[in-house]
Amino acid sequence: MIKDTIKKALQELFPVPEPVVAETPPTEAAEGEETKAKKTVKEGPRVNGVIERDYNACGYHLDAQVDPGELLAAVLILDKAGFFIESITGVDWIKEDQLEVIYDFSRYDFDLCRVVIRTRTPRTAPKVPTISKIFSGANWHERETHDFFGIKFEGHPHLIPLLLPEDADFHPLLKDFKP
Amino acid sequence: MSAPIHIQPGETFTLNVGPQHPATHGVLRVKLEMDGEYIVHAETVLGYIHRMHELMGENRTYPQVLPNLSRLDYLGALGYTHGHVLAVERASGIEVPERAEYIRAITVEMNRIASHLFWFGAFVMDLGGFTPLMYAIQDREYILDILERVTGSRLTYCYYRFGGLYNDIDDEFIPATKAFIPRMRESLKKYDALVTGNIILQKRLKDIGPLSKELCRKYGATGPVARGSGIDFDVRKNEPYSVYPEFDFDIPVYHECDSFARYKVRMDEMEQSLRIIEQGLEKLPDGPIMPAKKPKLIKPPAGDYYQAVETARGSFGIRIVSDGGKNAYRFKLRSPTYSNMHLFDEACEGMLIMDALALMGSLDLVIPEIDR
Amino acid sequence: MGTQNVPSPLEAIPPSVVQFAVADKLINIGRVNSFWPLTFGIACCAIEMMATGCARFDMSRFGAEVFRPSPRQSDLMIVAGTITKKMMPGIKTLYDQMPEPKWVMALGNCAISGGPFVFDGQYSIVLGADKFLPVDIYIPGCPPRPEALLQGILELENKVSGWNRWKDPEKA
Repeated sequence: MIKDTIKKALQELFPVPEPVVAETPPTEAAEGEETKAKKTVKEGPRVNGVIERDYNACGYHLDAQVDPGELLAAVLILDKAGFFIESITGVDWIKEDQLEVIYDFSRYDFDLCRVVIRTRTPRTAPKVPTISKIFSGANWHERETHDFFGIKFEGHPHLIPLLLPEDADFHPLLKDFKP
Repeated sequence: MSAPIHIQPGETFTLNVGPQHPATHGVLRVKLEMDGEYIVHAETVLGYIHRMHELMGENRTYPQVLPNLSRLDYLGALGYTHGHVLAVERASGIEVPERAEYIRAITVEMNRIASHLFWFGAFVMDLGGFTPLMYAIQDREYILDILERVTGSRLTYCYYRFGGLYNDIDDEFIPATKAFIPRMRESLKKYDALVTGNIILQKRLKDIGPLSKELCRKYGATGPVARGSGIDFDVRKNEPYSVYPEFDFDIPVYHECDSFARYKVRMDEMEQSLRIIEQGLEKLPDGPIMPAKKPKLIKPPAGDYYQAVETARGSFGIRIVSDGGKNAYRFKLRSPTYSNMHLFDEACEGMLIMDALALMGSLDLVIPEIDR
Repeated sequence: MGTQNVPSPLEAIPPSVVQFAVADKLINIGRVNSFWPLTFGIACCAIEMMATGCARFDMSRFGAEVFRPSPRQSDLMIVAGTITKKMMPGIKTLYDQMPEPKWVMALGNCAISGGPFVFDGQYSIVLGADKFLPVDIYIPGCPPRPEALLQGILELENKVSGWNRWKDPEKA
């Protein structure tokens, strides 16, 4: 099935898929780069990897966690396979002192395969590379995530507030936001 | 539009299509750099109706957020509420009885027709024809009468609950809907003859505002905008949910990629919705409308849940990140018009301003849904 | 027509001011029978405003169907929808651009007091149109029915001119 081929192609990003362990803070784990190029060894207790999820329980098929450095490689694989960008959003894990950016991708044809890519960045100086060169639609999604969480997307052409007023300097969806 | 555009540097002026708009889209601002009547550069400014639904989702419990979802896209409110209740039901594992799902599907399709009728009236008014608005809104009033009897509101419904509905349909619903369907079919024929076949409309819309398939994919456009560009994508068929697998309906797809194709997609969708309503009324089972056992307090287990539904404007997605508490930890709303509107900045470069406004009308915008 | 022989309730009316009492009344009745609303449909209430202008509820029976897109040509501003802080300067500018006499109608709960969007942590909306505009008539509802909007127009007619279209059956 074509769907399984896509899953395998994504899994090659992460040579060792591991089951997810809840509530463990992620550690610095170097993980496999894209398929033909270099392959580094994974280490550390927390997973950066691809997990297959039960669609009926949670609504998507593949769940991949990457480091911000490997984000562009993962997104390029999806772009070449013909996915479209559904949305980009953030989550504030204040207890773990991290901000998570979640990318949703899906397909137009009947080979349904929803892919979620996550990446984490420290809360004090959040920086993630932009994917707006690959998917132009990411432009507004990233501006909105910057508005709500304060995450700087490096390389973004026009990172000014989108939904908040032009001179806003607050980030409403952070858990310690007081209006 | 056959002469090439020669733009001397420094000869452009800025035109502000400001938040107060005579058209019906809402409070949207577009800053246009113009060379005469041609658009050189467009920049959309949002945020004039930003009410922060996502923070409300975090500060309120799941049932308390239910009315908010209708205010997101008020023209197709039931579709959004449907997405929300399906997401929470998926997260909490609540089973929905069949009768409730059928009634949900029937009312969502009626709401879809009402939304497309309003779009139709407003769009043709934008292009200069004021009469179809009156006819379309009159047809829409018949739908609103039927829905008001059952739900209690005309515009911002809050009819679904987690697990089913709060109110069963009354005796008048089925006969009134059955009487409405042939009347709507007559109206569609009338619109076809009066509007679709009208040479002025065709000249205004054919070959105007081309959006290629690749452009749609890069921006994540869904709904009639994508279906007018040859992309056969409809969440009801690609990613079926609720009782849509039981219905036999087609998805209209046109390949011309221009505004006329998007117009035709929506007109055909109204006919398909009528088919779904007919089949739904025939197959409507008896039974309860709420499950026998459902949790008193909605507290989904910790994790990430996503649900997509097909609304009148495209694929509406809702992501609930839960930490096991009464409120959602993160309540993300993926609005289809947000992705569709994003296309406009790139697509309208080099167009005449009147063609750009025809393109904007064919995207079917509802601004509170973009600004959330 | 001079006023020197008419006792005036005020201290002193300069003789150059001429009062056309009956004509004023007629002019006011003419005014209220032809409100020209400025379309300021922001959100959901705008749809009910449009439905009121259309065939079933028909605002033109009361003379108010001429929605003017330009503030320079209108005299009734219907604020329909939630007002955000980003939008507020724009609304104030529009109000200032309207020529006198002008009136403001707050349509819907959001324009009255913020509506269903008031919660702890709301940073973005203005809690009602009367925070910065002199509102003449409030129409509650979320969204209010078109009949409520029509009643609002009738009440405003009474407020502006003191004239009623028909006798109130409850007071008869």
